[in-house]
Amino acid sequence: MNCKICSALFQEFLEKSLCEELITELDHHLQTCGRCRASLRTYSLTISLSQKADPPCCVSPEKIDGLKKMLLDRFFSKKTA
Amino acid sequence: MSKKRETQSDAFLVRDIKKGDARSMEEIVKRYSSKVYNLAYHLTRDSAAAEEIMQDVFLTVVAKIGTLTNEEYFSTWLYRVTTNAAYGFLRKEKKFSEQTPVEDIDQEVHRDIDWSDLPDDVLLSEESRGVLRRSIDALPEAMRTVVIMKDIEGLKNEEIAEALGLSVPAVKSRLHRGRLMLRDQLSEYFSKYTAPSGEDE
Repeated sequence: MNCKICSALFQEFLEKSLCEELITELDHHLQTCGRCRASLRTYSLTISLSQKADPPCCVSPEKIDGLKKMLLDRFFSKKTA
Repeated sequence: MSKKRETQSDAFLVRDIKKGDARSMEEIVKRYSSKVYNLAYHLTRDSAAAEEIMQDVFLTVVAKIGTLTNEEYFSTWLYRVTTNAAYGFLRKEKKFSEQTPVEDIDQEVHRDIDWSDLPDDVLLSEESRGVLRRSIDALPEAMRTVVIMKDIEGLKNEEIAEALGLSVPAVKSRLHRGRLMLRDQLSEYFSKYTAPSGEDE
């Protein structure tokens, strides 16, 4: 396995969707290639930082209640139409 | 009804909504309003637009739920309606462009910088999070949407594929390329804190 193939497999490796044979090959390559080890670490960290950089924002309960009320009005008017 | 609505599947609730059950509609709003809002917000970066989109999306649910033939696909249908509404907003605001075709983007900008050992106060600083947010916003649209849906909203590849009308391999390809571009931006930013990797080859 070369570095380019190793890098292309990062996504599936982290999702644990690689077959045993490829995991073995990838492990072997990572043991001998410091550059790919570093690359995998920063790839993985990029994913977790993306989640933390852009955390979920909240919709206020009042907005949700307003939305529910509007939808129920629409819902019932549709039923009676 | 033997089970409470909170524990029912989406498909069950959708079938009830089709029969005119308003409480199931409320449960769907409770379950998905934040998800719809967040996806709309992260795509548009506009809280007022996200609220409007959330409202429009649920109005579409009320109006068109009868056209959803397979109730199992409710969530992906909802995400498709949401992304389409967000694209509509961005087009209207002229913030949307198809940009460079994904296939034409050179992904192998390998920087030999290992910043994984940096302390959390550097990795998670306001400045670094700002760099990452701006980098996400600057991704080509096709990648940006997939990265947001997967890495920020936590959707499955299959859900994203269904919602965007793509194959799963296409989703994975865009995701991988997008992540590599973000990683390169972060490597550039974090390079001021670290030296090029001296690990073995």
